[in-house]
Amino acid sequence: MARLELDSLTKHFDDDGDTIVAVDDASIDIEDGEFLVLVGPSGCGKSTTLRMIAGLETITQGELRIGGQRVNEAKPRDRDIAMVFQSYALYPHMTVRENMSFGLEESTDLSDSEISERVESATDTMGISSLLDRKPSELSGGQQQRVALGRAIVREPEVFLMDEPLSNLDAKLRAQMRTELQRLQEELDTTTVYVTHDQTEAMTMGDRIAILNDGELQQVATPLEAYHTPANEFVAGFIGEPSMNFFDVDLDGERVAGDGLDLPLSESVRGELTTDALVLGIRPEDVELKKTVEGDHDVSVTVDVVEPMGDENNVYLSLPDTPEGETFIANVDGRTRVEEGEDIAAHLPEDAMHFFDRQTGEALRNREFDPDEDEFSL
Amino acid sequence: MTDTLGSTGRDWRRIGLYVVLAALVVFYMMPLWTGLMTSIKANALSTAPFLPPAPNGFTAVHWTRAANALAGGLVNSLILAVPATILSALLGSMAAYGLTTLDWRYQVPILMLFIAGIFIPYQAVLIPVSKFWAVYLPLGEYGAAVGIPKWLGDLGGLIVTHVAYGIPICTLLFRTYYKDFNDEMIEAARIDGASVHGIYRRIILPLSVPMFAVTLIYQFTQIWNDLLFALVIVGPGQGAPVTVPLAQLGASLSEVGFGIRMAGAFVAALPTIIVYVLFGEQFAEGVST
Repeated sequence: MARLELDSLTKHFDDDGDTIVAVDDASIDIEDGEFLVLVGPSGCGKSTTLRMIAGLETITQGELRIGGQRVNEAKPRDRDIAMVFQSYALYPHMTVRENMSFGLEESTDLSDSEISERVESATDTMGISSLLDRKPSELSGGQQQRVALGRAIVREPEVFLMDEPLSNLDAKLRAQMRTELQRLQEELDTTTVYVTHDQTEAMTMGDRIAILNDGELQQVATPLEAYHTPANEFVAGFIGEPSMNFFDVDLDGERVAGDGLDLPLSESVRGELTTDALVLGIRPEDVELKKTVEGDHDVSVTVDVVEPMGDENNVYLSLPDTPEGETFIANVDGRTRVEEGEDIAAHLPEDAMHFFDRQTGEALRNREFDPDEDEFSL
Repeated sequence: MTDTLGSTGRDWRRIGLYVVLAALVVFYMMPLWTGLMTSIKANALSTAPFLPPAPNGFTAVHWTRAANALAGGLVNSLILAVPATILSALLGSMAAYGLTTLDWRYQVPILMLFIAGIFIPYQAVLIPVSKFWAVYLPLGEYGAAVGIPKWLGDLGGLIVTHVAYGIPICTLLFRTYYKDFNDEMIEAARIDGASVHGIYRRIILPLSVPMFAVTLIYQFTQIWNDLLFALVIVGPGQGAPVTVPLAQLGASLSEVGFGIRMAGAFVAALPTIIVYVLFGEQFAEGVST
């Protein structure tokens, strides 16, 4: 078991004389036994970061430490890591048993009987004991995925690295493997870095999540912190499904106004806003629907589209005097009756509002969130 | 009504296809057939070349004579072609691994050199090569000094020449094959702790079997059938590969020995046919990938 430290990791790629910065000054401390998810849109540098940890890419600048030891120059085999690839990367000419024992044969001095003991216990854990003598081509996608995971755990490494391991599975199997992976990681208590572009995976699996964009680390936080107190507009928009609603607004005295919105703000909220050009953000589930405008934070809206999900409805609303197709989303109980084209009101509660600097995207004011607060305990 | 018309149309098309196929078979088989018939006729000119001999005009004497005359050459050719084929395929595969799967500087210029090597014509290097083996590195004489027959040493030179000439094309064939390998699989092996050599031996080599069938057949045929290098580097005599005595077979001042020449051609071609039959299945698999 080991702690994994990324200290100002930077990766430059050389593209015909031009330097491309793939990862820019990323620092993350990953605790022993922690499950950290690296998440971001494609091309954000998350895979490159993982490959630097694995030793498959050289590190341009910064330092990488596993268990306190600098490993920048160490070969992949000397880093005591195991990696699970998106394509599973099984050896097609070897049986499941041979696939799993390959790493032990190449990197340890274990005897044949010890190796087969460890392989069998790993296949027991993964529930693939009956497949030991099959070749990868004779396995389903889900089974190959299990073999790939088994190949990693049989090595008993200090760190697991996973590069979108579930993205080739169908939706149902993916959800199932997600839970299984979490259970497995808790059981083994091995430090894990997990790369994904899927924010659902990030939210559900990670002890903490690190959000990357354009090679830059945006925020490292627990899933709930990232959700409720995003560091900037990018994180706020990336985490959560459906995404947070954003409105460009300007602070004018005691009110903020913009495209069809004109809302008063309390003094305490205003006090946190250090600039006038703002973006107002509010999560769909915080938007409440009403029949008519009653209070200060109610706005009249027209229902554009209703997406029934069963347990809840995603209601697309448009503000008056805004271009057609420009809508925001309210997430309400699935039994709420709203019709497309209906004129109703939406309540935007002040305590659920986020404000971002329109220039820098930096969060100036987040909703109040304290995970230890009694209000939220059962 | 339309149905019947349609199926008649298909029938005609199918008949046409088989007629063309049959014509092609005849076209390709005619030389072989004619050769075979000529080789079993006592008098080559007694009937038309493609007709079988008259019942009393049959003879096996051309075959026995040809087999006797070429026996030594066949052995020499095996001594030459088997190691030369295996070495060029193996070295080609290693070079392709180094140039494709591994990552280092100056790969591209070196690959260009390999590819240029494919296009050097035999004739262009004939004199330098023969001089090299005769003057600078006379393996036959070195061998003779330590008790190895001179002809065997000369064959050694021929083997090295064919290996050198075979490596570029083998490298290119293997490279095309290795480029389609999953990069993540190689990376997984690196993380699993395999060395550069271990990855080649345990991952790349076992997965190369179909491409080895292709290169082995190709190189074996090339080397077995070569006359030019054989004649220049080894020449007629005890160490001559089969193509050298074959070229001389049936040549005399009084007559042209059509029968024995045809029989000889079949005897000399037999090993390549056997190789095709043995590796045919893997060959088809290798070509299709």
